[in-house]
Amino acid sequence: MTTATLPRTSRLTFGGILKSEFIKLFTLRSTFWCILIVVVLSVGIGLIIATVNPPARAGVPAAGPLTVAAQQADAVSYATAGSQIGELVLAVLGALVITGEYGTSMIRSTLAAVPKRLPALIAKALVLAITAFVVGVVSIFGTAAIIFPLLPGTKKIHPDWTDWHVLESLMGGALYLVLVALIAFCIGAIIRNSAGGIAAALGLILVLPGLVGLIGGLTQITWIENIANFLPSAVGGNLSHYTGTKTQVVSGIISLDRLDSGLVLLAWFVVLFVVAAVLLKRRDA
Amino acid sequence: MIEAIGLTKRYGQKTAVDGINFQVQPGRVTGFLGPNGAGKSTTMRMIVGLDRPTSGTVTLNGKQYADLKAPLHEVGVLLDAKAVHTGRSAYNHLRAMAATHGIGSKRVDEVIALTGLESVARKRVGGFSLGMGQRLGMASALLGDPSILILDEPVNGLDPEGVIWVRTLARHMAAQGRTVFLSSHLMSEMAQTADQIIVLGRGRVIADAPVADIIALAAGNAVRVRTPDADRFAKELAGTDVTVSVTEPDLIVVNGLAAARIGELAASSRVVLHELTPLAGSLEDAYLALTEDDVEYHASDIEDTK
Repeated sequence: MTTATLPRTSRLTFGGILKSEFIKLFTLRSTFWCILIVVVLSVGIGLIIATVNPPARAGVPAAGPLTVAAQQADAVSYATAGSQIGELVLAVLGALVITGEYGTSMIRSTLAAVPKRLPALIAKALVLAITAFVVGVVSIFGTAAIIFPLLPGTKKIHPDWTDWHVLESLMGGALYLVLVALIAFCIGAIIRNSAGGIAAALGLILVLPGLVGLIGGLTQITWIENIANFLPSAVGGNLSHYTGTKTQVVSGIISLDRLDSGLVLLAWFVVLFVVAAVLLKRRDA
Repeated sequence: MIEAIGLTKRYGQKTAVDGINFQVQPGRVTGFLGPNGAGKSTTMRMIVGLDRPTSGTVTLNGKQYADLKAPLHEVGVLLDAKAVHTGRSAYNHLRAMAATHGIGSKRVDEVIALTGLESVARKRVGGFSLGMGQRLGMASALLGDPSILILDEPVNGLDPEGVIWVRTLARHMAAQGRTVFLSSHLMSEMAQTADQIIVLGRGRVIADAPVADIIALAAGNAVRVRTPDADRFAKELAGTDVTVSVTEPDLIVVNGLAAARIGELAASSRVVLHELTPLAGSLEDAYLALTEDDVEYHASDIEDTK
């Protein structure tokens, strides 16, 4: 039997933890499935919207030619349409990154190696963010690169790659995917259960906006309608809107521009991350 | 060295570990023995900082686990065999664990070979048997070549060969001057592996002594005597501090007298002996005697609830 002794030059470092989390993320099949689905959804839905023209309805006058700005807005919305479903898949991935460890007790191995705990949580979030960013940029800019050349023929739309706002909107769409994944990750870290974490994350992104919107619409109570405008999916949508207005309040209803929407979304993440971090420190693993 | 002082863990109303004090010394194997639910695993989780003590402290070579600069080098821990993501291969699991400390892939291959996992290292852990999972847990524990080894039920699910392997490894590591602390509810296993035994019952240390002392604690040293004159000899032997029971017409069991003394008494009383056997106390007996009042689930309870 041999227990060859190691040179004790190796020690726990944040770089090492980061590398470890990269290895963990990319040695699971679910990661590759999620990434593949996001890319396929983005390109597929983009292609369908860009190439299929609904037949003209009798009695509905044909729309006139679009302004240049309206053409860019449409082009951007086609390129980001698929990622609005892809975001749900990234939310699932984000939650699984941490709940998968609780479900399998892997978290005990992780925290035994990183007993201060917080570096492990930060490394996980960072690895997820980088991955989601690359996936977001590839899928959204890739979709744009595929469908923009088709649009002049199919929709009489002439996308303008040199328009800074087009690039900004596409980048906004990619950043939204990053923050959705991170928010789901925090919820997963708080709930520590895959089914619960995914349900809560999707509830926040998918169900809550409809619910709050419905109540707001029925009651016409201003603050309830404003809550709807601050939910992650609402501010996330603003991130990739080409024709964003300046932040303004019209008869009590707040609407946010791209930058403010990004800050609100960031705030969602920061608050949830702090809660997750405090709980991780305090709870038994 | 591992040192616990007043270590306590309460879950709501229930006290799992009740203010225990103990030291685990380097250079020998210390067994941690106790019935299920005695608090062994909770104690071990507190040692490596996974569970927060309600009160008290536990230190490793004078430091709290969370303050160690290179935890995997200082402490190797096997808490439960399947603290591994089931979707990942054994090799990738070890690679990810090693990466945190900058441990190279050479060492990963080494521990895979050491634990005999070569044939399954590239397979997903979800399909592992209990024994294979246990080997992977041991590989993780050994990854950093630690000076303290903490193993919770290491032989659980292992085949006889694996059991011997763990035993040899534990002894070997201790001989190198490392601290080896392993828990088990198998008394026989402890008798063969440990030098020192800490017995835990209902969250309290009920014994902390060398193995030989624990065995000696086994109630009395009985001697079995077979003789055609059982009744007569039993009467002659009986006295203060000596209990004699006639179990069969020609068989008596004597407590409180050495076998040699019984032989002398038989000679002087002209009693024919067919058998004179000292019954060594086993660790099992000692353990049962020690924990009799401290187990949560008594076999007799099953009778009672009928």
